[in-house]
Amino acid sequence: MFENRRIGAALALPAAVFVALAFLLPVGILLSGSVKTPSGWSLALFAEFFNDPLSMEVMWRTIRLGALVTLTSAALGYVAALAIVQAGPSWKGRFVGLIVLPLMISPVARTYAWIVILGRTGIVNQALVGVGLSDEPIRILFTETAVFIGLVQLFLPLMVLSLVSALENLPTDVIPAARVLGAGWLSVFFKVILPLTKEGLVTGGTLVFTGAVTAYITPAVLGGSKVLMLETLLYQKVSVNNDFVAASVIAAILIAMAIVTHSLLKRAARARAR
Amino acid sequence: MLAAIFIFLLGPFLLIAAAGLSAGETLAFPPQGLSLRWFEAVFAMDNFRASFILSMQLAVGSTLLALLLGVPAAYGLSRYPVPGREWLRTIVFTPVIVPGIIVGLALLRHAVIPLDMSVTVALFLAHTVLVVPYAVRVVTASLENLRPDVEEAAVMLGATRLGTFFRVVMPNIMNGILAAFILGFVTSFNQVPVSLFLTGPGITTLPIDMLASMEYVYDPSIAALSALMALMSMVIVLVAERVLGLSRYV
Repeated sequence: MFENRRIGAALALPAAVFVALAFLLPVGILLSGSVKTPSGWSLALFAEFFNDPLSMEVMWRTIRLGALVTLTSAALGYVAALAIVQAGPSWKGRFVGLIVLPLMISPVARTYAWIVILGRTGIVNQALVGVGLSDEPIRILFTETAVFIGLVQLFLPLMVLSLVSALENLPTDVIPAARVLGAGWLSVFFKVILPLTKEGLVTGGTLVFTGAVTAYITPAVLGGSKVLMLETLLYQKVSVNNDFVAASVIAAILIAMAIVTHSLLKRAARARAR
Repeated sequence: MLAAIFIFLLGPFLLIAAAGLSAGETLAFPPQGLSLRWFEAVFAMDNFRASFILSMQLAVGSTLLALLLGVPAAYGLSRYPVPGREWLRTIVFTPVIVPGIIVGLALLRHAVIPLDMSVTVALFLAHTVLVVPYAVRVVTASLENLRPDVEEAAVMLGATRLGTFFRVVMPNIMNGILAAFILGFVTSFNQVPVSLFLTGPGITTLPIDMLASMEYVYDPSIAALSALMALMSMVIVLVAERVLGLSRYV
């Protein structure tokens, strides 16, 4: 009964047309603005961006923070995921629920909490001054460290969930088998667990990295104008300088980064399937 | 170790809730005395009430429209040999890849300004675009668990295609549709980057309003509001987890 191509097309087209008109078209026009100058097509605007020290600083910071957040999430993610998978079945469900929970809570609320913790009179500074490690409050808010901490908290759950589902597909006896054959925990991790859960790591890594490099709220709240990332720079270009052209160049760079990361993911997934 | 990670992930919410319960005039932890005054204050603020209502309307409206588009698309793409299926699928999923701030900027620059479109309509379109991929993905997943033979049997026994869809398929994928609704609602309600350029004085969503207020509000009211939003999400997630097993769909 499912041979009729016309019915299928009629069902799928409205969604596709809607996305094309309300999303692809305006975004396409916006991006075309980044390769257009009054004298014709050119990459001059990109050259301008890459020659501007401030823009480059922001771009490298974005990539650096993205990479650091991804690596940290991977390390913490394995610790959490291994513990969750080894917990009993009823606990496992509860733990996964606790990992999902923060994902559903407003990132604005999640980020605001760090102001109470990292601010001048926040808990960390109270503790530092209280035990005499520092004579006066140190500046944590509006530094890269604050943005880094906020991003890890925001995106770690995505890594944990990917790793949990990868570890669940691991045959249950490979770890005891490797142990019995004399492997230490480190070599069990690097020679058995890591290769067998590579796919989950790549999926989680892609989600975390793209999430971190395209984050807006965390750098806006915890970094301020001192620690700009690409999205906060884009926002500043539009709202402060009214410079839509520069904004479209940053938009193109952000999309390029997202597409490259996603296609790396696809390739990794395909290599695995082969 | 796992406990430490849970403290890192969830502890800040307890702190923010405690800071919101303060009786003092400034944001601080530990709170200066306990009181509910800042929670009451949040409900009394007109700007937060207006932005909360807009956020609610946006989240419900855009998720419903996304489902109206997404459910048939998921059904068509998973059951019928649609010409150019991979292309259609790619188009529907592109909003996941493109950072939200760019969607808002593009709609502001190339729809709101030249077409004289109202900002509210643009917000509604942007949020719908954002939710469509979730709707299609979640509903497709639950369609894959339903064997097509059941539908074929219904048609063979004399049901129309439409009747089969509403009386055989729909009841079986209802959990998936509800899960998609909750995910879409939460995504839209918490959304910031997409709405950044499509809001301004007078028309603003709750999270954007909170972000803007942080720059000049130093009392515990935003902490109280954050705690309330976290509480709302927790209730939604707990109910959904009990009823649907939401974490399967995330």
